[in-house]
Amino acid sequence: MAQAMLKKIATSSACLVVGLTRRSSARTLAIASKNVNSKKEGVLPAEGEITKSVFMSQSNDIYTNLALEDWMYRNMDFTNHHVMMVWRNDPCVVIGRHQNPWLEANVPLVNEMQIALARRNSGGGTVYHDRGNLNITFFTPRERYDRKYNLEIITRALFRGFGVKAVINERQDIIVRDNYKVSGTAAKLGRLTGYHHCTLLVNANKADLSKALAKREHGIQTIATASTRSPVANLSEVNSRVTVDSLQTAVGYEYLRTPALHLEDGGQAHISQQRGFQFVNPTDEWFPGLAELKNELQTWDWNYGRTPVFTVSRAFPVPAQLLAPSEIYSATQELIINMTVEHGLISDVTLNIPPGLIESGFHGEASVITHLKGKRFTSEALNALQDAMLTRHLNTEVRKLDDKEQFVAKCFDQVCCELYCTIIKAVLLNPNCLCTYNTAVERIRGMKMEKQKIVFKVSLHNYLQ
Amino acid sequence: MVMCTILQVTSRLARGGLSVQCCQRALYSTQNKTRLYTKKHEWVSVSDNIGTVGISNYAQDALGEVVYVQLPEVGQEIAAGDECGALESVKAAGEVYSPVSGTITEKNTTLESKPALINKSCYEDGWLFRVKLSNMDEVKQLMDQTAYDKYLEEH
Repeated sequence: MAQAMLKKIATSSACLVVGLTRRSSARTLAIASKNVNSKKEGVLPAEGEITKSVFMSQSNDIYTNLALEDWMYRNMDFTNHHVMMVWRNDPCVVIGRHQNPWLEANVPLVNEMQIALARRNSGGGTVYHDRGNLNITFFTPRERYDRKYNLEIITRALFRGFGVKAVINERQDIIVRDNYKVSGTAAKLGRLTGYHHCTLLVNANKADLSKALAKREHGIQTIATASTRSPVANLSEVNSRVTVDSLQTAVGYEYLRTPALHLEDGGQAHISQQRGFQFVNPTDEWFPGLAELKNELQTWDWNYGRTPVFTVSRAFPVPAQLLAPSEIYSATQELIINMTVEHGLISDVTLNIPPGLIESGFHGEASVITHLKGKRFTSEALNALQDAMLTRHLNTEVRKLDDKEQFVAKCFDQVCCELYCTIIKAVLLNPNCLCTYNTAVERIRGMKMEKQKIVFKVSLHNYLQ
Repeated sequence: MVMCTILQVTSRLARGGLSVQCCQRALYSTQNKTRLYTKKHEWVSVSDNIGTVGISNYAQDALGEVVYVQLPEVGQEIAAGDECGALESVKAAGEVYSPVSGTITEKNTTLESKPALINKSCYEDGWLFRVKLSNMDEVKQLMDQTAYDKYLEEH
């Protein structure tokens, strides 16, 4: 079915009929969908020839909605037909195209709370979505991309529908009550099509929002785009009549009553000339190829692997009992680990061992480093570390690492685990847990780290003291 | 190569035989003679079948301050019009398209730490990547400075 439809579009650039609505069963929606290759860079039509639609996505899944957005960007021709799409998601954190998830989100907590983490195609910073947040995407030909116009539609709708006074600031965020941000904006500009999307906080869970985006000190150096943190407000706090549904309707009507290229109230007469509100069902049946785009958006390679190169640096004070007892050291003895992560893979590791630890007889760092290279910046790295520590002792069946090796191993764990996997840290560093490093790793092996829900509350600080 | 030589000769001849006013114009076009533009505001300057690619002043101005640059990898094969990177300005990611086909030979790694160079010097230090052209004929379809200026006026 899907293939047949794809073929039909490709060969004849026929109208793809996407019909599905809850409000009126008979309503069908015609999208002048053409294969991307047949899109032409033509002359743009006059304002009067452009019609508008409001699409309402029926999915609440972030990956599906991002895939739908991407599908429309790739396949639809917006020359004569401008589209505004409204959509909302179950709890998720959405990072910008060139951002570092470990830096922007509280990754272990997000995993624990089963909040999805997704990388989008547009630029900008990290946002949190849940059902109390409305997302709006404006699609136009690239030449007609107009962020200011789109944001004005929203502020006009807020005022017309609810009497809420909102202002667009110099960062093009929508703010209320002087400095509380209710909307974040990002855009993607391609050869033919440009889209601008934004969030609108209506009654989102602000506690979860702050927890999910909690900034943690990681000692990460990177060139990735950083988010600008702002105080946020929910629109329902400003006016309790604002709900996601009522806002969606208000912004939809405002969009339809406004001419396509300039801000003016066209009234009911203008609305009646447009294509109106349409429910869209983002399935592969209606949007051939959507499933593939969605799968791509769910991969580790896209969400984590696309992170711009970064370096994690940590310094660990060496406990006194591990130092050579005969020597007296003037400065604090610190073990410093630097890990460079490229495409989500560890590309370089350096270990600065303080004189105190060397003099007490620590060795074996070189093989550790070799084994870590090329490993995913995840639990794999830890397993590699374990193997490296044991390679020198292949003949002994069961061997415990000595205290010094354990210490270094634990420091490595912290560099990886803090950012990725709480459970390993928990098992290894829980002072009450008597298991050795070996047995801990045995227990961890084979577990799917991404799905771990159990978090052990431990304090590394206590351990190191 | 032969084509280039012919162009050089003709431009020299043209300069020699024209009035002062035209000389200035010829001089102006000499400065930019190797920089050719696409309708999407990328430029390419070709010497010895290696093309240097960047974005025009108009494009950098429209995009605003660039904060992150994603460039194609060296060795990558690209076709004219292919998406081969992205320039992210505050809140918008703009795709980069290659004006010519060929193999990437070099990328401007300075931009990775100093992306704003694209705004400061889009024709010099802010170049994006170099490509070994596989089809020299493609260059003929691009606009020269005069044609591009005219194109900007009309749009």
